[in-house]
Amino acid sequence: MAAVIYHPAYRSYAFGDDHPFSPRRVEMTLDLLSELGHPVETIAPEPATEADLLGVHADYYVRRVKALGAGEEVADCHEYGLGTPDTPAFPGMDEAGRWLVGGTLTAARLIAEGGQRRVLQLGGGLHHARRNFASGFCVYNDLAIAINELTKRGLWVAYLDIDVHHGDGVQQILYEDGRAMTISLHESGRYLFPGTGEIHELGSGVGRGLKLNVPLEPFTQGGSYLEVFEEVVPAGLRHFSPGVLVVQAGADAHFDDPLADLMLTTRDYEAIFRRILEWADVYAAGRVLFTLGGGYSFRAAPRVWALLYLVMNGLPVPETLPAAWRSRWSSTLDAPLTEAFHDPELGDDAVPTRDEIAQRNRQVAQRLLDAASAYWF
Amino acid sequence: MLVRDIMRTPAVVITPDTTLADAYRTMQEKRIRHLPVVEGHHLVGVVTDRDLRLATSALAPHPFAPESRVADVMRTKPVTADPSDPVEDSARTMRELRIGCLPVVDGGHLVGVVTGIDLLDALIRMTGVDKPSGRLEVRLPDQPGELARLTSFLSHRDLNIHSVLSYPEGPEAVRMVLRVGSIETRLLAQDLRRADFDVVWPPEKPWPR
Repeated sequence: MAAVIYHPAYRSYAFGDDHPFSPRRVEMTLDLLSELGHPVETIAPEPATEADLLGVHADYYVRRVKALGAGEEVADCHEYGLGTPDTPAFPGMDEAGRWLVGGTLTAARLIAEGGQRRVLQLGGGLHHARRNFASGFCVYNDLAIAINELTKRGLWVAYLDIDVHHGDGVQQILYEDGRAMTISLHESGRYLFPGTGEIHELGSGVGRGLKLNVPLEPFTQGGSYLEVFEEVVPAGLRHFSPGVLVVQAGADAHFDDPLADLMLTTRDYEAIFRRILEWADVYAAGRVLFTLGGGYSFRAAPRVWALLYLVMNGLPVPETLPAAWRSRWSSTLDAPLTEAFHDPELGDDAVPTRDEIAQRNRQVAQRLLDAASAYWF
Repeated sequence: MLVRDIMRTPAVVITPDTTLADAYRTMQEKRIRHLPVVEGHHLVGVVTDRDLRLATSALAPHPFAPESRVADVMRTKPVTADPSDPVEDSARTMRELRIGCLPVVDGGHLVGVVTGIDLLDALIRMTGVDKPSGRLEVRLPDQPGELARLTSFLSHRDLNIHSVLSYPEGPEAVRMVLRVGSIETRLLAQDLRRADFDVVWPPEKPWPR
């Protein structure tokens, strides 16, 4: 079985009732698995220490997060992306952030020391956080901190980011690192936050050619997504030969996501997860660490993440959603939950420009590989 | 954005007595293609790598020797820019005259150089993304007060605007392309539509829930 890292204290990482980054998404996921007859046994992490944070974050930044979390005024907090509409300050902000970082670090240590192969961290994935800048709901970058822990212990990391937004914070922190490859598939920054993630962002120094970005057209569907996924990811992994995969499994490329414009269905996600696990077996001795990430549709994200758990553990995917789960959570949503576990097929005519979109994505993937492979030998 | 914000300063310069061979070596070493020619601080000409290659080409009717002086092949009385010129004026001048550089002169002194590459850098700076931000595209009626209505809507939500581009769209509308410091542009677009703005991006999703 895959090890699952979780702690109820994760729920304290919350920006307020109406904020999209809601801890309810994980509660719904755990409840769904439980109602499906797979109550999840979790391993409790310790919160990250300040020393853990300072491996990636600037001390003056951590100091400001602490002060805001303690209710103090920080006059220049906007300069650090803190106290903004996206990433507002809240009581206990520092501690809440450290719980999520601690979870991803615990997952990394289970793999590096505990001989564990598959680990699922049921939280974290805060890929926008920078050394000294909070952004897009992300305060501390649990991923970069855990990746540094793994490389320090001799496991080179291939980081795969399937969140619909570019994994800009992780890429920036590891930009010159030759021991970590980053691959991010996302809706093109021309249209979507944070605006970066173009194919020419290839890394620098010994990291050159190890930072790969696949910016996808808005309204990309599963067929085109999986095509470029298959073309780019194994090529990168084959070149890099990682010791472990770290996967940011954001669920916001789903068509129901309120913040973005890609069109994956749960069946696409199932195919993606199965391929990642196969690649982990082939290229990384089966070692793979999944975190959560974005995913702001209460209808979609819990199903996507439940799927991840089921696929990681070789469990069957059910046809229908448990009635008890649907009735419990439907009342909290603005429309009832569907009966079927999987989404209905979107149909060939869902997007009139589908072929044009697929053609552009194909060209982007090809241009990326041409540019990056010039640095591979 | 002004010429002084993007110019190279101090410029690499040569004098009229510099030999063609030395001028060419300077271009190779500094990886540049344009050299202002000065006497003291006073600009007297410009020489480009193309000028040197054409002047010394074996195909030229009377090729110059490498020891010839720059004064014999340089362009005299070159067109110049002022540090306070807007960059778009420099772009238009260079485009019209089909030249690749403008020496920047202030009070009779050469103070820098602007090249086509510097203008490309300026384009990247003006349109590029240097802070995490989302794209918002709104069609506004071409009337007084409309832009103010949009920006005040954004400022009431405490949103930072990182960049604004606009271009005319038909006779009566202006397309505004803004980069705003938020990941939640879709939710913002919903609220803008409720306030009767014509939001072009992000679009409403075409499929039902």
